[in-house]
Amino acid sequence: MATTATLTLASTDIAGDPVSVSKVATLTKAGTLNDLDQSIGLNRVHLRSTTEKVLLAANAEGNNLAAKVYMINKSEDASLYITVKINAQTTGKLYGGDFMFIPWSQTDTSASIKVAATNWTSSTGDIPVEYALFHEDTDFLTNA
Amino acid sequence: MATTNATIGFSSDVTDSSLSVSNSTQLNTAGTTTGVNTMTSVTKVLASTNQVDLITAGSVSTTHAYVYINNPSVDETKYFAVTIGNAGAGSPTDTEEIGRLYAGDFMWMPWDVDDDICVTPSSSDDMTVEYMVFS
Repeated sequence: MATTATLTLASTDIAGDPVSVSKVATLTKAGTLNDLDQSIGLNRVHLRSTTEKVLLAANAEGNNLAAKVYMINKSEDASLYITVKINAQTTGKLYGGDFMFIPWSQTDTSASIKVAATNWTSSTGDIPVEYALFHEDTDFLTNA
Repeated sequence: MATTNATIGFSSDVTDSSLSVSNSTQLNTAGTTTGVNTMTSVTKVLASTNQVDLITAGSVSTTHAYVYINNPSVDETKYFAVTIGNAGAGSPTDTEEIGRLYAGDFMWMPWDVDDDICVTPSSSDDMTVEYMVFS
C-alpha cells in the first residue's frame, strides 16, 4: 500500500541551459519507512465567495504525524485565484491552473487549511478547487 | 518571459479503488499568462538544530512566486520543520509551521512573498536542504 508523488519542473529558456528537475517521493509515516495508509481521496469544491472557508480542519491528534496535502485551482481563468492560509498565516495564492503539494503539521486545532476566492465576483463564476489529503493518524476529522 | 512547466502526479493504492492524478501548469506571473523569468536554485548543508531563514521575502522582487523544497536525506528519522512568517526578522520567531519534510520528501507551493520561509533541522548532524524559487 503506497502513495507516490512526482514533481517535474522543466524549462528550456529560464536559464542559459535547459532546466529539468524530477523528483519522486514515496509518502511515509513520520520518521519511518512505513507507507502512509489513509486518505480522504480526491475532492472537488466550487468556491463562490470571498469569505474564508476551512478546507481541511486540523486535528491536534495529527501533530507530529505525517500528512500531505494536494490542492489545485481548476479555473481556466489565469487571473482568478484562491488565497491559501494555515491558521492566520497566508502561504500563497493559487491562480487558475496552479497546484500545491505540502506537508501539513497540525500543530494544534488552529492549524486548519483555509481558502478564500479572494477576487471572486458574481460575474467571474465559481472557482473549482480539487484537493486530497494523505495521512497516518487514525481519527482524522475533516469538515469537507 | 520564459516558459517553465510544472507537472505533478500521484499514484495511490491506499483506497480500494486506486487513485491516479496528473496535472501540468505553466508558471506565470501573478494573474497573467506571462511566464516567470527568474529562477534561484540553492543547496545548503545545515549543521545545527537552529531555525534558519531559508528564503527571505527580500530576496524576491515580485508578489507571487513558486517554491520547491527538497529533503534529499535517506535517513528516515531526519526532517526539516518548514515554517512561514515574520518577514525580515533574520532570526524568526512566532511563525506558522507548514509541515515537516521527512527524508525524501519535497514540497511545492505558491508563495505570496510576504513572509520568510524558514526551516529547522531535526538533527545537528549535517543535513542538506535544496530549494528553488521561480518568480
